[in-house]
Amino acid sequence: MRPVARSAIATGLVLLVSQSGAAAGADQGAQLAATCASCHRLDGGGTGIPSIIRLGEERLTNALLAYRASESPNHIMHAIALSLSDEEIASVARYVAAQGK
Amino acid sequence: MKFWTRREFGRLTGAALLTALNQPKARGQAKARVVVIGGGIGGATVARYLAVSATAIEVTLVEPRQSYTTCFFSNLYLAGLRPFKSLSHGYEALAKQYGITVIHESAEAIHPAAKTVALNNGSKLSYDRLVVAPGIAFRDRALRGYDEAAMEIMPHAWNAGPQTSLLRQQLESMEDGGLFVIVVPPNPFRCPPAPYERASLIASYFQRSKPKAKILILDSKDSFNAQDLFQDAWNRHYPGMIEWLPAQFTGGVTAIDAKTRSVITEGATFKAAVANVIPAQMAGRLVQQAGLANQSGWCPVDPVTFESALQPGVHLVGDAIIGGDMPKSAFCANSQAKACAFAIAADLTGSARFPAHLFNTCYTYLAPDDAFSNAISFKPVDGKLKSVISFVSKVEESSEVRRQAARAAEGWYDAFTHDVFG
Repeated sequence: MRPVARSAIATGLVLLVSQSGAAAGADQGAQLAATCASCHRLDGGGTGIPSIIRLGEERLTNALLAYRASESPNHIMHAIALSLSDEEIASVARYVAAQGK
Repeated sequence: MKFWTRREFGRLTGAALLTALNQPKARGQAKARVVVIGGGIGGATVARYLAVSATAIEVTLVEPRQSYTTCFFSNLYLAGLRPFKSLSHGYEALAKQYGITVIHESAEAIHPAAKTVALNNGSKLSYDRLVVAPGIAFRDRALRGYDEAAMEIMPHAWNAGPQTSLLRQQLESMEDGGLFVIVVPPNPFRCPPAPYERASLIASYFQRSKPKAKILILDSKDSFNAQDLFQDAWNRHYPGMIEWLPAQFTGGVTAIDAKTRSVITEGATFKAAVANVIPAQMAGRLVQQAGLANQSGWCPVDPVTFESALQPGVHLVGDAIIGGDMPKSAFCANSQAKACAFAIAADLTGSARFPAHLFNTCYTYLAPDDAFSNAISFKPVDGKLKSVISFVSKVEESSEVRRQAARAAEGWYDAFTHDVFG
């Protein structure tokens, strides 16, 4: 690889890292998604606990609203969803859905 | 790092001295420095979330060990259901993927006025904010006769590592028909359901390998968390194997005799084949020296930012803190660490603040394929962390629901340790 191309790739990587870093700090959805990440792997891996990425914003929103409404079928998700406002549900669903793209 | 000799320092005068003392500002674009002491669940999570949420912050993690062994899930190892290695997590991803400087030394002293931390290799770290996550220490002389030598005979296995392997070896070499004694400390202690989970899972191991063995739990309390769920499970899975004696029956454990492997209570002496003595606890030693703990031995904090109530500029997370209803659990440490990281990032970089969400979720094994769960959310109320919503599994749940919880617990461990260590 020629040195110029290598340095262009390196710069690209730095930009990617810093953009995702800035977004994570500034976004309410990112901060709320940190709670999701305590149980759900946000990199798409994992077993035993359902993956929440690639579900899409609407399905995530509807799932959180349903969990908020009822203790069944999962009291953990019920407790989590009960602590979230409508606005918080919208912003975490938007952020998590964007991770799956 | 450069160290000033007294003579060199004496030669610096006026502007030169000011520049030396104000290096970050003098350089203009220097990053804010956060030092995190302790690479357990709380410390590693703070470091990771600071690194991802604020690229303008330089994060240093100070942890003497090369890897961390989780206390949670170590009861599965004790029961022969999980290899020891699966509990161990290194710091490579935090260093390589997240750009955190990991220093494998131990912190010897904190100097809040000078904003420095002294390490045991003689070097010194300067910080703009310090986060201390020291975990627990055992109270001296809480139990007569239980000293460091006694711990090698009757292990606590309450800081995961060599103590945990020692207890496993003792359980494996115990003869069938032997008595295994667990001594449970007074509140508050790390992971309230864990002594009873330990009894449950070791009972499952005895049932497979030493069916005539017995387990005796000598408690410092008269009741315990989720008692109905545990006692129902003990009757169903291990009838007659586990006996629990509350303090009101025994008068409480007063002493240990390591020579005869005996536990002495007010009313009787119990000679064990294997004994697991879990001592009374307090916040890790470093905070006691640094003036971060109050008379209780634990660290009071602001419930929003987790800044110390005793030393400004120093934050604390995890088992070492007190101030409300959050139990001492890995999940709470992780949840507090995220709130703390976002609060520090907002302070140092001006990023937006949002209300924090604090939770505890806990999966507890009653048998290898029978687990229950609970979930609690917390909010700051009048300077304390109050439990506002709480749910727990019920005694009458079907075995299929419990099997699913045991499977979910495995998935949780995988996701959670990825969240903390990358």
